[in-house]
Amino acid sequence: MKESQDIETATTALSPTNATGPPDNKARRYDRQLRLWAASGQNALESSRVLVINGTATSTSTLKNLVLPGIGHFTILDPSKVTPADAGNNFFLNGPHSIGKSRAEEEVRLLLELNDGVEGMADTRSLEEVLDTDPEWISGFTVVVAHNLDSKLLDRLATFLWSDDSHPCLFVIRSSGFLAEFYIQYHEHAIIESHSETAPSLRIDKAFPGLLEYAKSLDFKTMDPTEHSHIPYVVILVKALEDWKAEASLPHGGLPPQTYPEKQEFKKSIVAMKIKPDEENFDEAEAQAYKCWTSTTVPSEVAELFQDTRLTNITPKTPRFFVLLAALKEFTQQEPYALPLSSTLPDMKSNTENYVHLQKLYKTKAEEEKGVIKKLLAAPVPSDLVDSFVKNAHGLKLLKGKLWDALNGDKEALANSVGTLPKQVSAHLALSALATFHSDNPTATPTVDALTAEAKKILPELLEGWDDAVGEVVRAPFADLPNTAAFLGGLVAQEVIKMITKQYVPINGYCVADLVDSWTGVI
Amino acid sequence: MPATTQDWDERYYHVDQILEKPGPRTDPGFLAGDEVKEFLREKCKILVIGAGGLGCEILANLALTGFKDIHVIDMDTIDISNLNRQFLFRPKDVGNPKAIVAAEFIMNRVPGVTVTPYYGKIQDKDDDYYMQFNLVICGLDSVEARRWINATLVNMVDPENPESLKPLIDGGTEGFKGQARVILPTVSSCYECSLDMLNKPTAFPICTIANTPRLPEHCIEWASVLEWPRVHGDKKMDTDDPEHISWLYNQAAARAKDFKIEGVTWSLTQGVVKNIIPAIASTNAIIAASCCNEAFKIATSSAAYLNNYFMLIGTDGVYSYTFEHEKRDDCPVCGGEALDMSISSETTVEQLIELLIEKQDIQIKKPSLSTPTAQIYFQAPPQLEAATRPNLTKKVSELVPADGEITVTSTSLPFSLSLRISYT
Repeated sequence: MKESQDIETATTALSPTNATGPPDNKARRYDRQLRLWAASGQNALESSRVLVINGTATSTSTLKNLVLPGIGHFTILDPSKVTPADAGNNFFLNGPHSIGKSRAEEEVRLLLELNDGVEGMADTRSLEEVLDTDPEWISGFTVVVAHNLDSKLLDRLATFLWSDDSHPCLFVIRSSGFLAEFYIQYHEHAIIESHSETAPSLRIDKAFPGLLEYAKSLDFKTMDPTEHSHIPYVVILVKALEDWKAEASLPHGGLPPQTYPEKQEFKKSIVAMKIKPDEENFDEAEAQAYKCWTSTTVPSEVAELFQDTRLTNITPKTPRFFVLLAALKEFTQQEPYALPLSSTLPDMKSNTENYVHLQKLYKTKAEEEKGVIKKLLAAPVPSDLVDSFVKNAHGLKLLKGKLWDALNGDKEALANSVGTLPKQVSAHLALSALATFHSDNPTATPTVDALTAEAKKILPELLEGWDDAVGEVVRAPFADLPNTAAFLGGLVAQEVIKMITKQYVPINGYCVADLVDSWTGVI
Repeated sequence: MPATTQDWDERYYHVDQILEKPGPRTDPGFLAGDEVKEFLREKCKILVIGAGGLGCEILANLALTGFKDIHVIDMDTIDISNLNRQFLFRPKDVGNPKAIVAAEFIMNRVPGVTVTPYYGKIQDKDDDYYMQFNLVICGLDSVEARRWINATLVNMVDPENPESLKPLIDGGTEGFKGQARVILPTVSSCYECSLDMLNKPTAFPICTIANTPRLPEHCIEWASVLEWPRVHGDKKMDTDDPEHISWLYNQAAARAKDFKIEGVTWSLTQGVVKNIIPAIASTNAIIAASCCNEAFKIATSSAAYLNNYFMLIGTDGVYSYTFEHEKRDDCPVCGGEALDMSISSETTVEQLIELLIEKQDIQIKKPSLSTPTAQIYFQAPPQLEAATRPNLTKKVSELVPADGEITVTSTSLPFSLSLRISYT
């Protein structure tokens, strides 16, 4: 995944004047994160509203990592008073001074010290009361985070949030000593800016007319030697491929190199074009020669998205992602059967003039193809969104989620995971067993036997790693260790940021962590 | 007032569940109960190097888990761009030393914990200073500083004295990615052993910068590397001074315009000349928690500790990898064996020095070279430098026989590297 952005997009939108001068205080404060998610991500964060249920150490650790980068609003829903144990393990309580006071109020006060651009509220109602009297209140948030909630109450909350796909996504976090897991419940999550590390195709194998003409117009043989050592490799390859295909009398006439000997021969022909041994541009061309026989097509992950039934009937209500996707699909069904060209050209050996000229050819063609996409749109879409969509077309993602806890009822999915991720599934089952046992027997102490019986109801055959997992859970049931809380708070905040900004790719499943052996895994 | 009187009933309710009984994977030597609690809370002394993005998180976690004698070193002062993640600092603290502000904050928030700050460089302290700690945790952004503390702790190990082995826990982050590792000096792979895992810094060839710029970065490098010294002579460039950045930006933008290159902005200029690495609170929280969790496990034996490397990538889902990084027998710090190096018999001393600076697993900035019997080239003191300078243009093969050894030392690092030279 490419993390750093080009800084122009990262800062100009935040404050259009600062591209040429020092940034204002806000841009300076957020500089290190704007280089990851740009002004568009920052604006999304600043418009978000996060609800956190249960003011535990894990909850405030998560919130800290969201208040610092500047979410718009958060509410802590918690009716409880600070206990001596809370005052000992939560950095956002004021030690013994907070004991006996409202946990939500104390935490909100101390969290707000971190960033005066953020709004925070304490709500001392219980979740049960909210679900009984005013569940719609919850749908006013962007994201809901719940840590170590009673499992029956959690089921009610999850079912309510799942009942309408416009409801906020739900983060379920469970932890017990050194073991922990979290899950994101969402129906669907579409990502345009996935920050894919795969570079878009330069279409060397399907050179567009402007590029082809330019390559053909150059006569390598009569060229000045300095000029010769500054031809960009893209141009060398386009020309070499054209020459290769033109040798129609040979068995490969008209086709790019196909077999291993042909590919070797092609590479040799590139090296043979050198007029001096130290021409690095020809070395680059040789190293990139595979681009001549790697056919530019629509990446399979993107092609899969084209199967979505929503693309066939675009209405004014269709989400913009699908309006864009429908146009993209139609675009790829015509010559050259590829995604629209990217206007970003990687650096390569060349002099300034040749590079800038090549860059201009790519930019002009990319603009032209973007124009075609715009004409294919069946409903209006803002221009900057089209730009972003086309620029990131090769990394589009559409994640489809499930109801919280669906895994434990899905014997087939569970059986599949058991084969490849036994330790991870064991930890997940141990945390599930503890939650169910505690909900049914609130005053009883969980034992290995009791939790094993509980887990067997979900998966009759227990597996490798079960003893290790259940033993740790029984050692410290629901213990909210400061280090585990901080670890989870970091992981969950990363994912909340990804969900809110719709940038980078969040998990699709259960993320399990074992801090005895220091590993994480996703089921 | 002794620290323990500050403890209220159930203060450590959560942590004590771990300290009062073993888990299924706990070492049988674990002394559950009062003994381990007493060691952690009254005897254990821990050093935190760095009070920045990782350091703030590390200090808070250590204080909450029950470490009460914490020391922290940092040479930096607080900048406004720290405030998006270094959560012990407020706008009013900008300009003040990180170590001091962080220590005060922790002591105010977590009663009974003593945090002793040192505002200065790790190199100011000697072995006696480092010897007083049970554990060292590093949250640094500098490779140089990590190499120094790593080599210092490895050199301190005295096989006769088990107390001289100080576990070193090191964390680092970049954007959504990070890593945490446990180093047992001389026992497990050390920081120097894994030097080749670092990303090579992007360096642009000088001829590209001078003659054939293509990217906005090339224009910025031209302004800072070539134009600044040409125009300002000996005046040092200060990348924290907005006026200096503005000057560089204007030069770079003018050059970009001449060459029809797009994309030079003020912010990009600052990013390139300061080599800014993206940083967010959440990634620092994960890595700092991982470091502190290992420190807690080592200090208490309540669970096995990391052997020895945890890396995390959070850009595409949550991907992590836990593995044992192997010790290198020819590691210049902890290996003991000479490193084989094959060079041409035509290679000059100067070229060999270039090679030592460039080579990914060595990266010594200012190497001095000698053989067991003679000095080849010394960077300092000036008299010795002048006396050995004529050797720079000589061929190595004239000074060192085949299979002969060269000892490489560096002024910035407390170690010496033995090279066994063969010629092609």
